[in-house]
Amino acid sequence: MSRFIIFITLLIIVGVAGAILLTRAQVLAAPDQPIAYSHRIHVKAGIQCLFCHSSALRSAVASVPSVEKCMGCHAVIATESEAVQAVASYWAQGKPIPWNRVNRQPDFVFFSHQPHMGAGLNCETCHGDVGRMDVIQPVVKMDMGWCLDCHLKQPEEKVARLADCLVCHK
Amino acid sequence: MTKKLSRRDFFKITAGAAATTGLKAAIGRNILEPFVRAPENELPGQATWYASTCRQCPAGCGIIVRVINGRAKKIEGNPLHPLNRGKLCARGQAGLQELYNPDRLRNAVRQSGGRGSRQFEPLYWPEGIDLLAEKINSLSSPDRLAFLGGLIPDHLYHLTARLLEALGAPPPVIFDLHSALEGRNTAVKLSQTFFGEAELPVYDLAHASVILSFGANFLETWMSPVAQSRAYGLMRQGPFGGRGLLVHFEPRLSGTAASADEWIPVRPGTEGYVALGIGRLIVEERLGHVGSHRDNALLYQNVDVREMAAASEIPVEMLRRLAIAFADADRAVAVPGGYLAGQRNGLASMMAVQALNMLVAQIGRVGGVFLSDPGPTASLRMRSQVDTFDRMLDLIERMQAGKVDLLLVNGANPIFELPAAAGFTEAIQRVPFVVSFNPFVDETSVWSDLILPDHSYLEASGYQVPMPGSDRPVVSSQQPVVRPLYDTRSTADVLLELAARLGGLAAESLPWQDDVSFLQETATELHGSSLSAYDSETRAGFWALWRQYGGWWSEKEIRREPDMIGFVPQPLRVLEPEFEGDPQDYPYYLYIYPSITLSDGRGANLPWLQETADPMTTARWGTWVELNPEVARSLGVGDNDVVRVVSPYGELEASAVIYPGIRPDVVAIPVGQGHGDYGRFAERRGSNPLALVAPVTDPESGALAWGATRVRIEPTGKKQELARLESLDGAGRETLD
Repeated sequence: MSRFIIFITLLIIVGVAGAILLTRAQVLAAPDQPIAYSHRIHVKAGIQCLFCHSSALRSAVASVPSVEKCMGCHAVIATESEAVQAVASYWAQGKPIPWNRVNRQPDFVFFSHQPHMGAGLNCETCHGDVGRMDVIQPVVKMDMGWCLDCHLKQPEEKVARLADCLVCHK
Repeated sequence: MTKKLSRRDFFKITAGAAATTGLKAAIGRNILEPFVRAPENELPGQATWYASTCRQCPAGCGIIVRVINGRAKKIEGNPLHPLNRGKLCARGQAGLQELYNPDRLRNAVRQSGGRGSRQFEPLYWPEGIDLLAEKINSLSSPDRLAFLGGLIPDHLYHLTARLLEALGAPPPVIFDLHSALEGRNTAVKLSQTFFGEAELPVYDLAHASVILSFGANFLETWMSPVAQSRAYGLMRQGPFGGRGLLVHFEPRLSGTAASADEWIPVRPGTEGYVALGIGRLIVEERLGHVGSHRDNALLYQNVDVREMAAASEIPVEMLRRLAIAFADADRAVAVPGGYLAGQRNGLASMMAVQALNMLVAQIGRVGGVFLSDPGPTASLRMRSQVDTFDRMLDLIERMQAGKVDLLLVNGANPIFELPAAAGFTEAIQRVPFVVSFNPFVDETSVWSDLILPDHSYLEASGYQVPMPGSDRPVVSSQQPVVRPLYDTRSTADVLLELAARLGGLAAESLPWQDDVSFLQETATELHGSSLSAYDSETRAGFWALWRQYGGWWSEKEIRREPDMIGFVPQPLRVLEPEFEGDPQDYPYYLYIYPSITLSDGRGANLPWLQETADPMTTARWGTWVELNPEVARSLGVGDNDVVRVVSPYGELEASAVIYPGIRPDVVAIPVGQGHGDYGRFAERRGSNPLALVAPVTDPESGALAWGATRVRIEPTGKKQELARLESLDGAGRETLD
């Protein structure tokens, strides 16, 4: 009997530890995407981040472009590519593309792109050199320590405000 | 649970749960779904508030709707709107569930298995409109076309009336149960008698120091409940001088009665007697500060205070006390409506009440009676008010006689809303072709051949001149807050397209390309008015502001004093109330009252409203019969016992609610449930008390006398638990009995 209990306890420990490790690995991994979309190709073509992620300057979220926006160009550009044909098929069916989220804040964090863009930050500061990525992946673990790294380095008159709990945890 | 969990099982489950919880973050996915087509003006992650107009009842309150990521999320009152000033009722809040209702029709349909079969096949819109146009063209005479509507918004009424006029068809018949229960039609007749205008009066409750309310449930469903509740709050808080006094006359303790300082359960049909008694006392004993009552003596020459007191079962001393309070008040007002308007002496009773306002010279004075000033909005108003029940009966007769070949129904559900004995269900089956514009398959749509579903009001454009209005000229505008969810079409658009297809005079009198161009042309007529609360240099700018503000209104308060010049004083009549049903066989008066949440039944398909408890009994999700404890004891009936209510016209069964707040000779049943069709939340729930009601009218006004039926109660021996918010065995409840 006691052997059984030890076995069960071990199973729990292994399960929990495994899950934690997997979760940590997941933080910096590139999730699978429904379409083989490459940021590198689009940046190389000279497209600005804000062309597609157009609400970053004005809203909390940077936004993922609508399928209509993709088709704005891809109705004529690279129509023979397999990935583009996949986009066209979503468009034809009138269905949204179920992208997997790459960067994520938990729901008790009220992060907004707008003030960060307003403060003159570049997209790359947090999202890395997206222009070199074929498959988008996070480059930093976006936890509170990382946020504060930057917030605490701000000019003295701003630090008190930027380090206040209620700035992000409303 | 009888099986005991073994230690081993417990560990197994715990280990499994822990592993799953830990792994969830690793295997769980978070999907981002972008729009296929991004809505116009949409900024992801950022909420936009659109101003529009509530259509959950005919009051026309201004709303603002929070829209985020293209979806409407929350409805609130429009703080700028002069009618409701940022406030909104539960029915207004529940409007979202109309938009997202799973039982909405998603496209035009034709009933393929014959009428009443409930087998619908989808139809392309052009085909549907072609079919309708063909039916109109093949009418042997235009007067064989009939249009039946509820209180539809003004822009739609305009277009409908224009189209029918161009076709040479009879004008639309406007009738719904909600307005019958509030006595809207009789109130219009009352204004016509006193002020010479077919207009609903505005009672200035906010500034009144004494209010005598005769049956008007102005805090619940009567007329414009949000504006009136706000006014009531001001009356109580007394920013205009002291806390006001409210006395409410109604046979049942309603929410309004419970908010009053004094509730007087008057005998049904004798509300007018009370008003006459009070009036006679004021004149006879020269009460108040108006000075001479000589001119008014004529009004009360037929009135005997003792007789009035005896008939209404209210002692003379009480009448005198009320008369003194009313006459001595600085600003007193008497408000007639609701149950007394639903009697066969309805108009006479309403006149007796309105005469009190004249007696204390409160017509056109602060805290008294006004008419709303249309200002420059006059041309936008609905030209006709709600029709009498007589006109409805006339339509039913024409349908029965086979004189109607094509019936169009919009915003009305007569099969549910009319007394069953009026025979609409039989009559509609004699009409060869019926078209419904209702977005839900309700009882009437089931008998139609074609349903051309309208948008929900959150997807459509329009406008409405609130009636009764506010303290200034006002128009509420309606705009789409989201893109239409389904392949539905605004009925205004359908009528315009229909007119274009019919050609000739119809196309000439409805020349607009779509409803928005019609609205733009109509709304911008107000551009340049010096009264306007906002200003713009161009018509296009005005059109933008019209939508941003949610309408147009005057910056300043403008009240209109009613014109009494045409009023010829005549002795007020003392009319005996008459009831259907022999008092021996049917000992109780039946009082069907509009539910504060479901209204006349139109809210029954919204689960939020079904779930909202009735403020007095806390019952919900069903129909109940309110019995006085004394009556219940004599019948041997307790709470939740099913009783049968029988009238000379029909019967129904429902659970009893033992309610001390009701006269022993009255039985009250809320209206709104008992739908046979109308979606999953409404169907097969409770019973419709209209089955009991006699289809009789007040002969003077032609209004439905829905309060003029007597019933008897029979215990059935069955028991059916009602869903209630408050537990019956909880402490505190006992103190009520």
